[in-house]
Amino acid sequence: MSTIPAIDVQDLNIYYDKFQAIKSVSLKIPPNQVSAIIGPSGCGKSTLLRSFNRMNDLIPNARTQGKVLLKGESIYDGDVDVTDIRRRIGMVFQKPNPFPKSVFDNVAFGPRINGSKRNLGEVVEQALKQAALWEEVKGILKKNALELSGGQQQRLCIARALAVEPEILLMDEPCSALDPIATSRIEELIRSLKANYTIVIVTHNMQQAARVSDLTSVMMVGDSREGYLAEHGSTKRIFTNPRDSRTEDYIRGKIG
Amino acid sequence: MTRLLDIGLEKLRTMLLEMADLSETTVSTAIGLYSDQTNTPDEIFTRSEELRVLQDEISDLAVELLARFGPVASDLRHIKSYLEISYDLSRLGRYAYDISQVFGVFGDLSHCDTRAVEKSGKQAKKMIRVGIKAFMEADVDLAKTLRDMDNVVDNLYLEHVKKIAKEPGAGTDLRCTVAATLILRYIERIADHATYIGESVLYIMTGKRAVRT
Repeated sequence: MSTIPAIDVQDLNIYYDKFQAIKSVSLKIPPNQVSAIIGPSGCGKSTLLRSFNRMNDLIPNARTQGKVLLKGESIYDGDVDVTDIRRRIGMVFQKPNPFPKSVFDNVAFGPRINGSKRNLGEVVEQALKQAALWEEVKGILKKNALELSGGQQQRLCIARALAVEPEILLMDEPCSALDPIATSRIEELIRSLKANYTIVIVTHNMQQAARVSDLTSVMMVGDSREGYLAEHGSTKRIFTNPRDSRTEDYIRGKIG
Repeated sequence: MTRLLDIGLEKLRTMLLEMADLSETTVSTAIGLYSDQTNTPDEIFTRSEELRVLQDEISDLAVELLARFGPVASDLRHIKSYLEISYDLSRLGRYAYDISQVFGVFGDLSHCDTRAVEKSGKQAKKMIRVGIKAFMEADVDLAKTLRDMDNVVDNLYLEHVKKIAKEPGAGTDLRCTVAATLILRYIERIADHATYIGESVLYIMTGKRAVRT
């Protein structure tokens, strides 16, 4: 296994105007592992996640200091192609957001705009299989994606992200809008995907973090409402014997 | 605000302390049969069964709390340890019954040399009290003293066995020798379980497992 982290965050600070949302976060995300980021509301979990593929660039007045290295290369250097970064680091959001297009066109969207020369039919089938959705939709590829169930829509979004062959998949509360069965399917999917992808998941569901992740990062809110990293380590240790008293109180439901 | 889980944890703790009281008196009564045979093995068996029933109740509640609340961190360590300590206390009852059965089989042993058994029994009863106190007060340092106390009980049993091995016919009364061997062995196991209670206290408070040598 490579010793270079998939993502290496070094002394990261993120501001929205004068408000500091993230303070001095340093963190290494190892490849082919599921890393969870947990913490109370407003601690900057999603902001931190979005910094991994420069999604915060889309937010007016957002400012980033520090470094985020993708396999050793800084993604915030001036000459970096942001579109390429976002292709290499895909993202799945809280609410399933398929395009109002067919199932096929949703998955084919990324490869098309990237000018992929691969057979689109094969790409779509492979992505849908990886997202554990193929068997359910192979006969309805021309159907409008918005007619799928919520759980199917979310797996379609995962397939859409996988179709451009990313290296890393970021997931921001991917199950919060889903029922327990659909949630279970997504969690099984996450576990199976880590063989080929590095996955970072933000969740406010601590049991979900405990179920699916190998590593857990615990974010907390400081006195000035800035988010900071309180603890990082193996999920097993964090959930059985956390070292930080703030982590202990938070995961036991004493604060937050 | 009290968490719903805390209500369950407090209930578990109360049940465990009830078990601790019962196991301590049951062991004490069984060892006391040397000099006082007012109590019968049947009565001690009844108490050991009560301990087993309490252990089942603790196990049921612990599983319910796991299913309902998905406890983590020190909550999870407490529940895991409550399960283990309830098993230890239940075993104390069972060994007390085993001791009582020795008297049931051999009858009156008041003429035997009881010094080793009395010394070992006294130490084991002290260990039970220390284990329970360490648990109640979450006192890791006190819990750690159990290891050395256990060595005393181990050595008393070992010396007795070595003595028999060296001079098989040295005892004036074979009944006394066999009874003492059995009882010392049961007390040695009781002391082990008291030591395990101390190890659970260490685990609850630090998350670390004691290394057994």
